[in-house]
Amino acid sequence: MASFKPTKIPVYPKLGEKVTQDTLYWKNYKAPVQIKEFGAITNIDFSPVTPHNFAVTAFTRIHIYGPSSQEPVKTFTRFKDTAYCGRFRSDGQLLVAGCEDSVVRLFDVSGKVALRMFRGHTKAVHVTDFTSDRYQILTGSDDYTCRLWDIPNATDLNVYQEHTDYIRCGVTSKLNRDLFITGSYDHTLKVFDARVDKSVMTMDHGQPVESLLLYPSEGLLVSAGGRYVKVWDLLKGGQPLVSLRNHHKTVTCLALSSNGQRLLSASLDRHVKVYSTTNYKAVHNFDYAASILSLALAPDDQSIVVGMTNSMLSIKHRKSPEESREISGQQRRRPSYRVFVKGKNYIPKQDDYLVSKPVKQYLAKYDKQLKKFNVSKALDCALEKWIRLRNPEVPLAVMKELDRRGTLKNALAGRDEQQLSRLLSFLIGNLVDVRFAPVLVVAAEMILDIYRSILGQSPVIDRQLLRMQELLEREIDYQKELVEVLGMLDTMFASSLPKMEVPCSSVSRSNGLSQGEASTSRPQPQVT
Amino acid sequence: MATDSGISSLQLPCVFSPKSRQYLALCAQDGRLRIWNTDSKTLHQEFVPSAHLSATCTCIAWGPCRTVKEGPQRKKRKSEAVQVEEKADLLAMGTAAGSVLIYSTVKGALHCTLDGGHSGGVNCVQWHPEDSLLYSGSDDTNIAEWDLQTGKTRSKWKADRAAVTSLCVSPDGKLLLSAGQTIKMWDLDTKEVYRKFTGHSTAVTTLCFATTRPPDSNGLYFLSGAAHDRLLSVWQVREDGKDKNSVVSFTLTDEPQHIDLVASNSKEEAVRLAVVCKDGQLHLFEHFLNGPCKKPLSPSCTVQMSDTKESPMPIPLLAAALGANTRTVLLAYGNHLQPVMEKVEINTAERHVCLTRDVQTSLSLSMETTVSKVKTPIVKANCRVLVPGLPGHQAPVKGTSQGSEKRKKDTDTKEMSIAERLGEIDLSTVSIEKGAPKGTASLQTDNFAVLLVQGLESNDASILNKVFQTRKEMVIKKTVARLPLPAVLPLVEELTKRLQGHPFTAVLMVRWLKAVLMHHTSYLASLPDLVTKLGVLYHMIESRVKMFHKLTKLHGKLYLLTTQVATNDSSNTVSDVDHTAKLVYEEESSDEDEASGDEGLPDVDSDHWEEEEAMEETVEDNKEEDEDDEDEDPDSRTESKANGEEDMEHENESEEE
Repeated sequence: MASFKPTKIPVYPKLGEKVTQDTLYWKNYKAPVQIKEFGAITNIDFSPVTPHNFAVTAFTRIHIYGPSSQEPVKTFTRFKDTAYCGRFRSDGQLLVAGCEDSVVRLFDVSGKVALRMFRGHTKAVHVTDFTSDRYQILTGSDDYTCRLWDIPNATDLNVYQEHTDYIRCGVTSKLNRDLFITGSYDHTLKVFDARVDKSVMTMDHGQPVESLLLYPSEGLLVSAGGRYVKVWDLLKGGQPLVSLRNHHKTVTCLALSSNGQRLLSASLDRHVKVYSTTNYKAVHNFDYAASILSLALAPDDQSIVVGMTNSMLSIKHRKSPEESREISGQQRRRPSYRVFVKGKNYIPKQDDYLVSKPVKQYLAKYDKQLKKFNVSKALDCALEKWIRLRNPEVPLAVMKELDRRGTLKNALAGRDEQQLSRLLSFLIGNLVDVRFAPVLVVAAEMILDIYRSILGQSPVIDRQLLRMQELLEREIDYQKELVEVLGMLDTMFASSLPKMEVPCSSVSRSNGLSQGEASTSRPQPQVT
Repeated sequence: MATDSGISSLQLPCVFSPKSRQYLALCAQDGRLRIWNTDSKTLHQEFVPSAHLSATCTCIAWGPCRTVKEGPQRKKRKSEAVQVEEKADLLAMGTAAGSVLIYSTVKGALHCTLDGGHSGGVNCVQWHPEDSLLYSGSDDTNIAEWDLQTGKTRSKWKADRAAVTSLCVSPDGKLLLSAGQTIKMWDLDTKEVYRKFTGHSTAVTTLCFATTRPPDSNGLYFLSGAAHDRLLSVWQVREDGKDKNSVVSFTLTDEPQHIDLVASNSKEEAVRLAVVCKDGQLHLFEHFLNGPCKKPLSPSCTVQMSDTKESPMPIPLLAAALGANTRTVLLAYGNHLQPVMEKVEINTAERHVCLTRDVQTSLSLSMETTVSKVKTPIVKANCRVLVPGLPGHQAPVKGTSQGSEKRKKDTDTKEMSIAERLGEIDLSTVSIEKGAPKGTASLQTDNFAVLLVQGLESNDASILNKVFQTRKEMVIKKTVARLPLPAVLPLVEELTKRLQGHPFTAVLMVRWLKAVLMHHTSYLASLPDLVTKLGVLYHMIESRVKMFHKLTKLHGKLYLLTTQVATNDSSNTVSDVDHTAKLVYEEESSDEDEASGDEGLPDVDSDHWEEEEAMEETVEDNKEEDEDDEDEDPDSRTESKANGEEDMEHENESEEE
């Protein structure tokens, strides 16, 4: 006996944005936590040691937030003026920050008062960083100079006066204690070596440089300035590798996702873009409410912290695995694996007589009804609200099956107002969909045939029919225009076809023309 | 999002006159002092200080009320001359230049100018409640005591290491509070520091005494608010001098901008406080000041105001004054240039009150003086003029040809208006390139090219939506025409994505696509891989129009039916229709048919013949449709067919059962 074959639900290609691994990965964050700071947030830095607190520099304060707290766990307020660039040392014990009043302050993370004050710059200090040996500090200032300071006795070791404009970004090498790179508003990036007292490499970015980033391998350098993000190969002597332009306003901040596979750039145009570092294509995009000034990623991408000009700090935490699973597997709890395995792994002995138990076939609701030939009920089951809205393929497949059986008309007939309106709303929702149109048009025609007599009796149905008519009218107008476009494209393709074919076509055309002329000239007398 | 990026905008002074609250003095952005009458809600006086732009007014304080002697100019009107009540008269204005102006509202003119006291800008002025003394604190860290009789400084002393940002004289006139880095309480007789209070980390903007009790009774309290601080702190002046920390604090939603307070005279009386914050909200507090209270107090009532539009926008409150009873509050809201004053009864039982008001946002700023000395820039032949436009794209370089035109213009004696000058800057080179007539070209306000390129570059959905929602054919055309070539393909890709959607929105996209194909034909045709680039689009369109035929048919069917329903309805509503048939054929002899053939419509008639038969069959269940058949003779043919189908349908139904 042939068993019942369940209705095959075809899989249609999804419309719209392609869902890639990246979109899934970067969408897997919770709703952002928003914290109002006292002023524009100019810098965010994560502590390199667990629990990975992060320092937020905004206006005259530096707040340190814990990994999950929404209240600052620590605040440094001993600034006379706007603070800049609060950064942690690699052991997470010390924090350095520049200030508008040109004094650089060094704090113990657990203390309150500055341990050291480095005086020497004459203008605001926007750049501070620790060198990799932890004993020196790099600073860059609006007085065009950058300096190296000795932490223990708070004196400056060296002053570099090569830039000709404000220095607004800088990084130190994590591998070499003598190397550091600064970027300036004079459009240049300079690589300095503390052992030779001058810059060893200069690169021209072309725009005022706002942010710098070194790859963990330190072979590549990323710079942001103007609307451009550029990648430089330091090992090849500062050769520009890539220039990215994916923002329409100044790019203010760069970050590397912790496995080094993705590069993030934040801009005043309120976007954060994620690039793949293999082909430098933008793979994802975040939108924020205001212009972004600073961006930081927690280790392992556990959270994305973004600081904006309207003094809002937005923290997005990654969803824990349970949480994300909960959402994906919300529909139904299936029996556990053990249930299926039970008895299956028994290896039969030599003399055992095997009784094969037929696998029970589980049928969907509509299939059960189809099996019983309850065509109307089958359609009703398939038209249940959540099926109808979530996967319209199901009612469509059922309709197709009914049409194949030749009972679609029966299934559609004999419905009351509510059922009919449900059917119509499904039609209205999906009639113009290219994938569904062939079946639905047939169904719609049948419905009109069947229910013509009761038109005008129910205002609900009438309204839906009017809506359907309007929709069709639009669709037809639209398709008419599309056909025109098709004609345009045809012409365009014809004109751009490779020249190879031109001679052949011209020959054939000339033949055709002569034939055509002949044929037109010949039949004319016949007609008359 | 309304707050600026970190930079606190200058607070504009806004003060109610004391006691009767008859006037509201406001110094707006344009540097003019305006005094509004709160009763009649009209502008009472306007005063333009001579240096109102260079030395802007930073603070205002009303002098104590006094009995006003009539000025000589009012003498002729005897009936109004007798004024008994006390009236607010003098107004002190501190300026950024360091001088203090005394303005008299009775005279309607400047009373006197107090000069030479400060080297920095004046941050605050305070009147002594009884004597005609005035205190001012300045950026130069000094406090000056002015004698108004002489118009000279009586004394001046260094108050702090930082600028003095706020002052307050105690109600009994014996103590003065000043705030710089720390809050200091001065004994006014000896000019010595009486107490010191520390706690604020930012500049203190507000100081105010909350009680009127003597300082050595443990009952004197005052409150303070600071910039960027969302707390108002209350301090107690204790007998033992151990007043380290603030005793109470009130939480706000933003930094305080205007404070009004009804002081308490005894322990049993609560202090009532109305605070208008920078974000335009009003918070009302009521608290019995009696020793420390650990928790910050939240407002007993918060008042917001919004306009009456569909998407309500908040209207910022500027100032508030508490009335005599607990519920009435005098509010000033709207724009500094034209504030609206209103006495409002507030239901203080509710914690949050939102008032809706219709405020006309249109301000009429009259410009009386015409700008006469406009200098036209001299453009040399070899200089480039950059014009706002697409960066890197068609940035027009004004060459020599333009220069000659300029020079010709320069010879004209008449000056050009701004509009003409803007027209001059217009991308005339571009329009010449395009071959468009020069008259139609204007500034780039009629296209979205820049916006569209930005949106495509950063893939910003909001920008793209905004651009693609335009319905104006002209705008679309111009935008596409101005689009730089590198942006064409991204645009086509974006359009391909959007064409797949609902017809309501996709129709707009087709327009764009057509415009692109029209304007960039040659560019697209020159692409070597055109077929692969546009193949997706082509296939998409092809698959979509595949159903065109069937859909059109279905539409026709539907159209017919719906129009039927519509006429049905209308005929039902208009009147009861004559139910007798319009045309009645009596079956007498078949020859009649031949006779009727003379009318020239034999086919139609025969149809009617069939139809009537059908009518007889179905007359019971659908009477209405029959009436329709009679009304619409041209449709009768299809209708009769339809009736035939209906019969089939009946059969179907019976089968099903």
